Amino acid sequence: MGRLLAVIERDLRKFQRNPVVAAMSVLMPILYLVILGNSFQGKLKDLPIAVVDHDSGPYSRRVIENLRAIESGQKIFSIIYIKDQKLALDGVRDGLYKAAIIIPHDFSKRVAIKKVPEIGLFVDNTDGISSEAIRNSVQGAIRFIGQGYVSIREKQDEIYLRGIDLYAKVDYYQSLVPGVVIMAIFLGTLTTGVFNLVMDRFLGIDESYLLTPLSKSHIVAGLIISGLSITTIIAALVLAVSMLITGIPLSKGFEQCAAIFLVVALTTLSLLSLMFVILGRVNHPRIVGILSGFLNVMLFFPSGAVYPIASFPDWLKAFAKVNPEAYAVDALKAILFKGANIQTILGDIAFLLIFTSLMTTTAIITFKRTL
Amino acid sequence: MQKANAIEVNNITKKFGHVTAVDSVSFNVSEGEFFGFLGPNGAGKTTLIRMLTTLLKPTSGSAIVACCDVVKKADAVRREIGVVPQAMTSDLDLTGYENMDIYGRFYGIPAKEREERIIYLLEMVGLTNRANDLVATYSGGMRRRLEIARVLVHRPRILFLDEPTIGLDPQSRHVVWDFLRKLMEGDSITIFLTTHYMEEAEALCNMVAIIDLGKIIAIGSPDELKSQILGNDIITLTIVNLSKSIINTIEKLPFVHKIKTDDNSIRIYVDSGAHNLPALIDAVRTAGGNVASATIHEQSLEDVFIHYTGKTIREEEAKKVSFLTGAGVPSKWGR
Repeated sequence: MGRLLAVIERDLRKFQRNPVVAAMSVLMPILYLVILGNSFQGKLKDLPIAVVDHDSGPYSRRVIENLRAIESGQKIFSIIYIKDQKLALDGVRDGLYKAAIIIPHDFSKRVAIKKVPEIGLFVDNTDGISSEAIRNSVQGAIRFIGQGYVSIREKQDEIYLRGIDLYAKVDYYQSLVPGVVIMAIFLGTLTTGVFNLVMDRFLGIDESYLLTPLSKSHIVAGLIISGLSITTIIAALVLAVSMLITGIPLSKGFEQCAAIFLVVALTTLSLLSLMFVILGRVNHPRIVGILSGFLNVMLFFPSGAVYPIASFPDWLKAFAKVNPEAYAVDALKAILFKGANIQTILGDIAFLLIFTSLMTTTAIITFKRTL
Repeated sequence: MQKANAIEVNNITKKFGHVTAVDSVSFNVSEGEFFGFLGPNGAGKTTLIRMLTTLLKPTSGSAIVACCDVVKKADAVRREIGVVPQAMTSDLDLTGYENMDIYGRFYGIPAKEREERIIYLLEMVGLTNRANDLVATYSGGMRRRLEIARVLVHRPRILFLDEPTIGLDPQSRHVVWDFLRKLMEGDSITIFLTTHYMEEAEALCNMVAIIDLGKIIAIGSPDELKSQILGNDIITLTIVNLSKSIINTIEKLPFVHKIKTDDNSIRIYVDSGAHNLPALIDAVRTAGGNVASATIHEQSLEDVFIHYTGKTIREEEAKKVSFLTGAGVPSKWGR
């Protein structure tokens, strides 16, 4: 026991001597929240679109009126009127406009005689998200052209859907908080735990471990426990700051805190032990650098932190089933937004526990006690 | 009285791929001996010390260190030995005291005993007033002394040192030497040291094994090894017009035991070099030789190395360096 504590203390002291690393470990995930929150914003605004009206008839004017309504209301796009069709199309090709709407000269006539009226919509389809948004709102603008009027009775026949939220409203920034905490844990587990061993190996000072009577489990467990204590504190700080910034309330007090702490600690253990299995024999920090970006994408994006797992194709869903970060996100969302207690997230906890023990055992077995 | 063996090595071999770093080496080290392993860089010294200290598994053969087999009971061996590896292994982010304290705790030494021992050892290596400074602020010599002090915390029976003075200035080297001598006098400890410095082995060791290309080529006390070479001095003459007849003349002189030529310099193994030098030069001149320079030196282990391998340690190393940098491509690859 004393030996295990010595391994842990060595690590903690070294961490304490590098305050810059400690400060960055807390700051960076919070910056993630700001950057991620603003770069994944769901709403598009003021996309420039060119409108060419060859018709200038009554119906084309109504189309333009509807487009202008969207322009001033939802503000998805801003309209630039152009006479020359070629100029408009070249503008789209050159990236000046996101789309060009061409109303042909016989548009009003075809509407009047009900002979399949057409409007051309040329989109920059390399930007899938923008072009899809433009397509949908233009579709909306031309839907009722030619129907004359919308009867009030028809409106009454429609079924009105009343949405009822089960939980307190979760805004976009708040919904990212579990992901940010997971990111903090990921970063922490990558720069503590097995990374210290990789660095020792790189510096050639791992012999000072190997020459002593420390057993494999002393070394592996010691590094994992020191990584756990550092990372849990960092993650708790990141969570507290993120909750303050985004205004997530702690509705259930102590019980909720305890549940959060348990999930954070178990997630940290899962990732630390996973890193140990992957990096247990690595001897150069550059390999850790290369792997960190890869592992982050592999674990974070399929975790459901940004986009729901239900949207994944089957093979990615299957991967999410064994991804510890997915269970962590699920548990944190349940605790933070649904006020769930520990019973509700037992499934997640059980998975993280089993994952940790499996990985730690593998790490101890595969760890090499010789040079 | 025959002393017990601290180290017994039987036909130990280590291969890395098709390279044999240590080739079927056997020797014993008695308890209390200061045993030196002498050889050029790349001779297999570090590989050997790593096998004896449980860091590498031998390809074949076996070794018993302190009490037990290094493979079968590695853990028990680790408790009995202290190892100063070639690289400095102290933690730069920790203080000297913390380094020693944490190391002592790896061995489970009780707190009070540990503290006393650390204070004593720091005093011995002259680091008491720097004990609470970060190791990052230490000089090379100080770090080396800390390394040695650290591995003595658990009172090992055998101390292994791999090139303990490599990269140190002459003054720091002498501090380390003095410390090791003091250690031999005070504690009943066995020291196993590797070095490629002849003078280091000669100054410290009472038993020396010379290793080259993974094999032991000679073993004995420094005096025994030197006595195997005839003559007690070596005169090196540079003769501008060295010829067969001059060499014949030198060989026939009564005080000359053996000669070795290399271009126009000639190494002459003689008795009482200083006394016989004038006669030697006279003889060369009489035979028509033009002596450009003359040096005399006492026999050293360097000469023993030359005697057994036919080359100097420096030549050995130069060959390796040039091979690595490509400056001297071996002739079989067409140069």
